Amino acid sequence: MDDRDLALFPFISEASDHVGSLGFSLDRLISSRALDLARIRGKERVIQSISGEIEKTSFSGSEEGPVLSELLSYPFARILVSCIDDPFLTRRYSLAEAVAAYTLLKTRDVEFLSNFGNDFGVDARPSDSYFDINFTDYIKLASSMKDLKWKLVNRKLDHGNVRIAKEEFARLLQEVVRARIHDSLPIDVPEEICDLCAPYLDGIKEILDKRKTEYGAGDFEAVERELFPPCIAHAIANTMAGVNLAHSMRFAMTSFLLTVGMTVDDIINMFNVSPDFDVEKTRYQIEHISGSSGTTYKPPACATMKTYGNCYGEDELCKRIRHPLRYYSMKLWIKKRDEGKVKVQDKVVDPEQK
Amino acid sequence: MNDKTKRFVKSKFQDYYRTAEIHLPPDFTSREWGFILFDEMPEFVMRRHKAFGSSGELHDYLSGMVPAHAYYSVAYYEYPNAPNMKEKNWLSADLIFDLDADHLPGAPKSYADMLEHVKQESLKLYGFLNNDFGFAEEDIHIVFSGGRGYHFHISTPAVRSLGSAERREIVDYVGSTGLEVNRFFGKKGVSGDAGRESAEVFVLPSEDEGGWGGRINRYMVSYLSGIAKQEDSIKILTGFKGIGKKKAEQLIEIFRDERQISLLKNGKMEALSNIPKPFLEALANQAVSEMSASVDEPVTSDVKRLIRLPGSLHGGSGMRVTALSISELETFDPLNDAVVFSDKSVQLKVIKPFSVQMKGNDFVVEPGEGTIEVPEYAAMYLLCRGAAEYGSN
Repeated sequence: MDDRDLALFPFISEASDHVGSLGFSLDRLISSRALDLARIRGKERVIQSISGEIEKTSFSGSEEGPVLSELLSYPFARILVSCIDDPFLTRRYSLAEAVAAYTLLKTRDVEFLSNFGNDFGVDARPSDSYFDINFTDYIKLASSMKDLKWKLVNRKLDHGNVRIAKEEFARLLQEVVRARIHDSLPIDVPEEICDLCAPYLDGIKEILDKRKTEYGAGDFEAVERELFPPCIAHAIANTMAGVNLAHSMRFAMTSFLLTVGMTVDDIINMFNVSPDFDVEKTRYQIEHISGSSGTTYKPPACATMKTYGNCYGEDELCKRIRHPLRYYSMKLWIKKRDEGKVKVQDKVVDPEQK
Repeated sequence: MNDKTKRFVKSKFQDYYRTAEIHLPPDFTSREWGFILFDEMPEFVMRRHKAFGSSGELHDYLSGMVPAHAYYSVAYYEYPNAPNMKEKNWLSADLIFDLDADHLPGAPKSYADMLEHVKQESLKLYGFLNNDFGFAEEDIHIVFSGGRGYHFHISTPAVRSLGSAERREIVDYVGSTGLEVNRFFGKKGVSGDAGRESAEVFVLPSEDEGGWGGRINRYMVSYLSGIAKQEDSIKILTGFKGIGKKKAEQLIEIFRDERQISLLKNGKMEALSNIPKPFLEALANQAVSEMSASVDEPVTSDVKRLIRLPGSLHGGSGMRVTALSISELETFDPLNDAVVFSDKSVQLKVIKPFSVQMKGNDFVVEPGEGTIEVPEYAAMYLLCRGAAEYGSN
């Protein structure tokens, strides 16, 4: 890979070797004036990961400076993420880096993807526009994918080789990139280095906190469907029953589900009940709303829902909130509070405590 | 099993183990071993967390302790004899398939029928492992379990590191779980001004395409060309829903025409565009259910399971856990080939009615007949199954 590619895919082994060979000390990375741009870009990577997708440049000029900044911004971004050491941010950041990689990988040729795969121990043999990959590699990559099309049983498997299209391979590589970055974080950063990074960290923390309070849940991983507002619950029930939703309602529901932390695959899986379910079309629609086109969409507020006739089953809590997400975050808060209460009661009747 | 019976069965097992050929698994020193001893039966106490450093140690254990059942772990551990799973430090595991008559749909009448039924499933599984998954014949180790089924062991480096979810994908593949037939077989829209129905063409993968698609093609073409050759082909075909005499004649004409057949084999389905889709779908589904191999999913996905040692004896039947090659499997008759005991006459008292056919002889026994005399091999089977006690009183 040339220097530009290493800067675009800074998480591959060759890129970290390259960074090592440049001989920048940690101190220089943190404080050298010459690396200002790398640090600014590093911070930008993290912020973009919180709010949407990490945007990659295409290095139009012939200058080396931007390439080096882009390359070094990655280790700096990792330092920032490690200093904050918040599981939500780590997940979000790893995913955003991986999605950005996927977007780029899709446009590369089969040889490039094949070499890229090698770095992750995946031996994919290119041929025209597809790959042959050993089934053990394939299931390691694909067994976490929810959509039935990834199941081995639905693939062309011949003498141990699974045939996959180029874009499919790029999508699978997104998963290994995400896993590699996620599993390598946080890195061990000395406290004094984090202190030196404070000017960069403050801005990120603010955006992170805002993002988290906006949407209530401290941990987005466990999505509690029974706590959804009545309008969203109604839309889900309809979708599962095969009733066609109005476009505005489908948008509201999908953007809501994405925001509370469900993945595109989770949502597809949830809706994959009716026989005429079109996975590709649904994926396209959901991915569009999830920001693959560059814009992220937030679910509409209650007023907008009412305007479009999508407000359904308004209850007491609805009267106290102005946004469906607020409904969910309040329900989560109430649930946590109540669970706390239960624990207190348990203690009182605990026979060990007589 | 009373004490006298136990002593007798144990002594016969001991005779066997003195000269038995035991098939040690690869890296046997990294395995955990477990045994169930006669003395503790009928309690099923597993003596586990054992490890052996040499084959001599294992042979000494078998002929000294004479276990009723002998197992080793499919897993390889750093410390196989550590007292708990965490300390053992799991490294990797063989890929295992368990085909057991208990788990198969449909209940065949006799033990022999049951064994034959599960053997057919095993042959299907072998086809998947060899053709689709590309395992070489010498890497697929087939073992008769000594009870009601077969185990398949694969120890190649690539499969050893697979996790549970990944192993489940393999089970789903051979069992057609999650298979979407319409993904392979169905209609493809072609753009045009014609109505939706007429603007769809049937597509099917070609016969040499990998995976279920090619399998379905091969099944359908061979099934229909087989019918077309028969004299009562019209009658068979009109038995299908949606196929009248005219459609049946059409089908027969197509499947008697070598040129049409070779087009169909290549996935070119135009010839069948007049044939009702439900018929073709029913045939595809028939193909899937005929070809699926039904294996016991939890066994494959359990990467720490203990599995019977090939060459040992099954304490619940007295039969040998027998390692087989694929050609041996085809002609294998457990009730003859897995029987290790002699023809010497043994006296028994029957406590449960039982019938079994072994070494070509029928044994039908009833309680209350007083003492009976049967050959040792049948006696061992009846004693191990708990259908009789040893001796004349």
